[in-house]
Amino acid sequence: MASGLGTRRADGAMPNPLRAGLDSNRISDPLNIIFFGASGDLTKRMLMPAMYNLRLNDVLPTNFGIIGFSRSAKSHYDFREEMKEAIDEFSRSGPTKEPLWTDFAERLHYIQGSFDDPEEFKELKKQIEENDEKLGTGGNRLYYLATPPGVFPKVVQQLAAVGLGPKDQAKGWTRIIVEKPFGTDLDSARALQTEVMKVFEESQVYRIDHYLGKEPVQDIMALRFANVMFEPIWNRLYVDSVQITAAETVGVEGRGGYYEHAGALRDMIQNHVMNLLALVAMEPPISPHANDVRDEKFKVLSAMRPILEDQVSKVTARGQYGPGLIEGKAVPGYREEESVDPSSVTETYACVKFLIDNWRWAGVPFYLRSGKRLARKHSEIAVKFRGIPHRIFGEAGDQIENNTLVMKIQPDEGVSIRFNAKVPGPKMHIRGVTMDFNYGTGFGVESAPAYERLIADAMRGDATLFTRWDAVEQAWQAVMPILGRWTDSRNIDFPNYLAGSQGPQNADALLVADEREWRRI
Amino acid sequence: MSHIESPTDVAAIQEQLHKSRVESGPGAASTSASVATMNFVVFVDDPAHRVWVLVRAQLVAQKHPSRLIVLDSTSAASGVEVSSATRENGGATIVNERVHIGVSTLDHGSIISLTQELSVPDIETVLWWSGARLLQSRTFSGLAQHATTVLVDSSGMARGEETIRELGEFLSRFPSVALRDLAFMRLAPWQDMIAQFFDDPALREDLFSITRLQIESGSDAEALYLAGWLGSRLSWEIAERDAFRDRRGKTIPFEKIDKGDQRRVQSVVLHAGTSVYRAELSDADPHVVALSIEGTRSRPVRYVPLQNIGNTSLIERAILECSRDEIFETSLLTVRELLG
Repeated sequence: MASGLGTRRADGAMPNPLRAGLDSNRISDPLNIIFFGASGDLTKRMLMPAMYNLRLNDVLPTNFGIIGFSRSAKSHYDFREEMKEAIDEFSRSGPTKEPLWTDFAERLHYIQGSFDDPEEFKELKKQIEENDEKLGTGGNRLYYLATPPGVFPKVVQQLAAVGLGPKDQAKGWTRIIVEKPFGTDLDSARALQTEVMKVFEESQVYRIDHYLGKEPVQDIMALRFANVMFEPIWNRLYVDSVQITAAETVGVEGRGGYYEHAGALRDMIQNHVMNLLALVAMEPPISPHANDVRDEKFKVLSAMRPILEDQVSKVTARGQYGPGLIEGKAVPGYREEESVDPSSVTETYACVKFLIDNWRWAGVPFYLRSGKRLARKHSEIAVKFRGIPHRIFGEAGDQIENNTLVMKIQPDEGVSIRFNAKVPGPKMHIRGVTMDFNYGTGFGVESAPAYERLIADAMRGDATLFTRWDAVEQAWQAVMPILGRWTDSRNIDFPNYLAGSQGPQNADALLVADEREWRRI
Repeated sequence: MSHIESPTDVAAIQEQLHKSRVESGPGAASTSASVATMNFVVFVDDPAHRVWVLVRAQLVAQKHPSRLIVLDSTSAASGVEVSSATRENGGATIVNERVHIGVSTLDHGSIISLTQELSVPDIETVLWWSGARLLQSRTFSGLAQHATTVLVDSSGMARGEETIRELGEFLSRFPSVALRDLAFMRLAPWQDMIAQFFDDPALREDLFSITRLQIESGSDAEALYLAGWLGSRLSWEIAERDAFRDRRGKTIPFEKIDKGDQRRVQSVVLHAGTSVYRAELSDADPHVVALSIEGTRSRPVRYVPLQNIGNTSLIERAILECSRDEIFETSLLTVRELLG
């Protein structure tokens, strides 16, 4: 009979022999997770439903505690009721069920406090210590900053002031998840980083970009590095250009106040879209581990050719939507949205042409675009290959297209390859065909939403899908000349595209100048 | 759906498959291609299980682009029915083809060659065998030889214990085929819950002082496999028909109690030292298990969700995990030894 017993570990403990071969996603370390901004929309719509679903799927560790910290006055009981309502409304698994809800709710606690008041952080400390004792959370802490970015430094400072920073910890680990945006420009990002580094080490900081938690984004790595057929042609010799699109049909969805100070370049291009660029353009990492992947992402972002301010108008375009139709329904223009200045010059559409000065990508343009209220919700990376070197089919080959590989991120996640084939029949007639692979139908499995995946990764200490400071800094450096130029030249004729359209005409002109065109959204 | 009278007329079946695909699929002018990822061969001969098996096979086949070949050896089927269904998903056309053959009048040689000729070459073949006999059936042996994965459900078979014995022999006769038993796969959440008790290092030593094992379940296979898994993981030997012997030579009685629905475990109780570790379905929700420890190691009751118990999900998992499962195989061999 085969033995399942293992040998004792270095610390003298016998490993659990029943664990061998069991496919469990459960996080092994007990922990407290503390949500700052626990009364906010993000916590209600995304974070708490994600936590509950992690519990339902048995991913949370056996011993865990959840503490909400926010300004609003409420009791533990009120907080539990509020979170129950939020989960009932927003959870992908439907309303809460007994007895699991009661088991989950008993681990939820709430501390009311101002982010300026050290006394209230002392209350938080007491609750954490009580959880360690009563819930067996083992001294491990994961902080989640789901607050407006302006208070990030305050929270970090207060944690250190009351002895809740990692340096004061007698046992266990401390990590902190920081929501985007990390800064509003290069200087503010650096200032924030300085504050955070006074308390945390870089390895303890998890800068979340929920885009990176999406399954298809992770599939980019698998497609590139688990197949032999793509890498040999993944370079300037075979690739004509790359287009990265993140198009939305929604407007600012009540976030006009935030968006007025952000715009498409800060909100999407500097983080989500640049992260996609890094994944598609980086060199093969030596392993899938966090630092190996993040080293390669940093290297490729460092190789991006800086855009000089006087070139900005030649390599970028911006737009703002006016009223129009989305799925047949009339929608207002950006300037008519709530909390938006009626003469706003904030861009809701941005596109940029980047070049990467390295051996692999020299001369290959990377066209990045993102916009709100566009024709379709659609995110993809399209790698367009060069044309064939010699046409042997004469007129029959007139319709030969450049091959294109498209990684579809949302919706309908998958991969499609466009290639040329002979039309059946006696004559040689060639036209483009599409071969599609869809992740959902190909494997017939549903993947976890991004927040569930990312929170679980942070609990496990896997930072692969989180952005390291050096990459954040590089991304800010890349967009700063554009931000500078756009801020200086505010005399722009907005709105310049209709809601529900393909975007502004000046974006088309950018590619026409390169004898190319955007893929249809 | 088209009907062909003769089940051995391969040319007619192939022609009908082609026709059906063209009719239901994209037209010749379309620029979309489509793919099949497996041959899914299903054999059924028990009229009582026929509908249960066919419904689940269809569900799996609809989800995964595949050619489903149903070998129906019950009297309910005759001739051949061919159908093809397509659906659009994200711009891709998913094609599912189904050939349902009444094979009750065919000999094993005809069934095997028919299956081979109808299979799409160069892709995986998954055989879901829901026949009364296993190795004694020449049809089973012939089909298994060409399969990458063989899937059975020993808890759904009338000859439960005999089936497990034969599965043990299957391992040595077909070393290159991945064998899966739904009865064992169903136990994954229970295995995880039992393991959870001993994730706490303070309780782990109790694993080596288990004195008694009780399992309540609606069918034998699950209880036997769970006991076999525990025994193989803890290096227990077989003492007698219903008892193990631990590493110190102490006998551990194993009590199998028939309770609840078929294919469902109701509870697992481990007596260890001065404590009793109990995992049992919650009265409030049958999808939740209450974990408790009584005695000197007493802990409050914890509720954990019971995951992935749907049979269709298990079949999918068996298809997706196409390599051999060492834990299953050692558990199976332990059970075979226990049964004598």
